[in-house]
Amino acid sequence: MSDQTALDPKSMIRDFIVSKLLNGRAIADDENLLLSGLIDSLGVFELVAFLEKTFSIAVPLDEVVLENFTSVATIEAYVAAKKA
Amino acid sequence: MIEAQYIDDIAAIWAKRAPDAVAFTFGDATLSYGALDAGADRLAQALWANGVQTGDRVGVFVDKSLDSALAIYGIMRAGAAYVPMDPGAPVERLVQIAQACGIKAMVSQERKQSVFEEVTARVPDLTTVLASDGTPIHAALKPPQPVDLRPRAPDDVAYIIFTSGSTGTPKGITHTHKSGLAYVRMSVALYGLTPDDRLSNHSPLHFDMSTFDMFSGPFAGATTVIISEMHMKLPASLAQLIEQEWMTIWYSVPHALIQLVERGALQNRDFSALRWVVFGGEPMLPGQLRAFGAHTPNARFSNSYGPAEVNQCSFKHLDLADLTEAPISIGTPCDHADLVILDDDTPADEGELYVATPAMMAGYWNDDTRNAAAFRSIGNAPARRYYRTGDLVRRDDGGELHFLGRSDRQVKVRGFRIELDEIELVMARHPDVSEAAAVVSGNPPRIAVYITAPPDIDADSADLRAFAAQNLPPQAVPTILRVLPEFKRTATGKIDRKHLAEASDV
Repeated sequence: MSDQTALDPKSMIRDFIVSKLLNGRAIADDENLLLSGLIDSLGVFELVAFLEKTFSIAVPLDEVVLENFTSVATIEAYVAAKKA
Repeated sequence: MIEAQYIDDIAAIWAKRAPDAVAFTFGDATLSYGALDAGADRLAQALWANGVQTGDRVGVFVDKSLDSALAIYGIMRAGAAYVPMDPGAPVERLVQIAQACGIKAMVSQERKQSVFEEVTARVPDLTTVLASDGTPIHAALKPPQPVDLRPRAPDDVAYIIFTSGSTGTPKGITHTHKSGLAYVRMSVALYGLTPDDRLSNHSPLHFDMSTFDMFSGPFAGATTVIISEMHMKLPASLAQLIEQEWMTIWYSVPHALIQLVERGALQNRDFSALRWVVFGGEPMLPGQLRAFGAHTPNARFSNSYGPAEVNQCSFKHLDLADLTEAPISIGTPCDHADLVILDDDTPADEGELYVATPAMMAGYWNDDTRNAAAFRSIGNAPARRYYRTGDLVRRDDGGELHFLGRSDRQVKVRGFRIELDEIELVMARHPDVSEAAAVVSGNPPRIAVYITAPPDIDADSADLRAFAAQNLPPQAVPTILRVLPEFKRTATGKIDRKHLAEASDV
């Protein structure tokens, strides 16, 4: 865990999205990740699984909604609120 | 039924009858029939002022929103054909489409500027990009020519939808106002649409099922609720929207519906307003339909069948209580359609399906070779053109048709048609690829691509993956991409694709 926690949560989330879901395409923190050509519906749930494992949180389906999952910034805020 | 000669007449007729009735909604924004009609006029004027003439092609490059509706009605009002360009497609694909049908102008959104400027830079004849309200958002490089508009005719092209082509280039399914309206009239009657209906628009414009939402709903004076790309990917948000918007008509590929079932997004949702749940584009599994039906107390269910080339041409209304585990049939022909099964050129109960209908496309855009192969006459009615679907079907004793598979290598992934040949041809263009084999496996189906590299080349799968994303439409980008030392071969020396499909199915 120590090498992972060396990165802040936002960077970890961004790294996962860029490397695993976007084929290396760079993104801004406030960029909408759910528009066409970016993350698809399967990718959303790969991301959910990553968040649950990495941050030891439970992400129920009714929280996988627009308010929480549109950008790196909203995802980070959601994770922070869950950890608090 | 209203009397429309052109698809965009729908907006004009309802603007007179019920100007304040809502034609489209998106989020909190609404577009009345009056505003849709006035907006179509405004965009048409701007297109003419920028040199667009009757019979030209105009690209639509927008994220799903009210702009989608304004763009397509405005382009048709100008006497031009609209050509949907997938906002998620790579630039390479957009350029191919623009060049294939000689797009002269585009309707887009300012936030898409970085992408549409890459396209305009590479297509010299494409100089004008307008917002859906007619404002220029990309300066024309040459002054518009004076416009001398030729009058319109119902046989003019209304829209061209590009789909995967097995030769590696997309093919443009070309519909006229006449063929489009023939489908619209049939579908409005089949599902009994009324001004009280609220349609859920799942399909993006570049997917042919969108014409039901964009035209059939408005033809009936109903309201179409445009669902954002974001909602389509978040089952909980989508379920919430269906309930809040009090939708009465659901029309989508099975994938959209199955997602809600599988992710458990239906619990505690009130879907009692839904009166029709219609699905099509690929086979639906009975179990998942039953699970969905448990949450829709007032809905009837219907399976819709028909390739984009002919629009819907058969249907099967379903009673969930009678549903067994057997595959759902594609039903019986729609009133306006003539369906013939040929086995080796002879009418039969099992074989390849041919369709003749007034809702049939004019042809593939500018493609004599494909058109020669796509149409034929049958029997003693040489004037009647039948479209060869490539679908293998069986007719049972009750006259219902059952889908058996394809006569070629076309597959469906989330309702989108994908030619495995095209994926292989595109991948083979990469210098590190010696041979490529694309297969589909699993449920839901996923695409897997296997490649071998030329001797002494150490092919990098991350690089190949990026190449696929840059050159294929999003739905055709493989989920699995692996470099193999060599292919297993069949006795005749062909790549053993069956073996690859089984190996991918884990």
